[in-house]
Amino acid sequence: MPIENEIRRLRFEHGEMTQAQLAERVGVTRQTIIAIEQNKYAPSLEAAFKIADAFGVPLEQVFRWAPK
Amino acid sequence: MSFREKSAWIALIAYGVVFGGYFYTLWQGWGDRYAQGLSIGLMAGAVVMLVIIAAALTIVAALFNPKAANAPADERERTIDLKAERMASYTLSIAVVCLIGALLAGWNGILVANLLLASLVISELVKALAQIAYFRAGA
Repeated sequence: MPIENEIRRLRFEHGEMTQAQLAERVGVTRQTIIAIEQNKYAPSLEAAFKIADAFGVPLEQVFRWAPK
Repeated sequence: MSFREKSAWIALIAYGVVFGGYFYTLWQGWGDRYAQGLSIGLMAGAVVMLVIIAAALTIVAALFNPKAANAPADERERTIDLKAERMASYTLSIAVVCLIGALLAGWNGILVANLLLASLVISELVKALAQIAYFRAGA
């Protein structure tokens, strides 16, 4: 997947926010957060903005384009 | 494992067990009875068993996690469902075209009806297997 992310680090910096807590705030399942975090699933733009919003940072601080 | 992945496993088990039994019974009695159209009762019984088994297993799965069971599918689950549905529809379409050819070639109508049912079952198995594979792979 050519989209990488900083979700793991951001969760750590936000008081070890759990995947379940992030999933609850974004409105997806914990399994979907796991898939996104492991770069196995590229989220929709809406979900990506919601994840960035959950951390209170701009989108580009969460996701970056990383073509192989 | 998410509730929807469990649902896919339930569909796989229910369809596999019920229609595995149905087609095995049909195969065993084909020469004596079922080729003449006596499989309607057997078919209805299989459908009833399928509904009972699938409903019972789904209720048990929902009891373990009622919140997940009541939640709507999220975007990844909907995408997986669409991909799996597409594979199932290809499978069913190919089978139906082949069976139309079989009917035109003069095959026994009861046999073709059962092969059509088998195609439906196989397409559901393909859907469940594809869903499980996509869930395991991540997307």
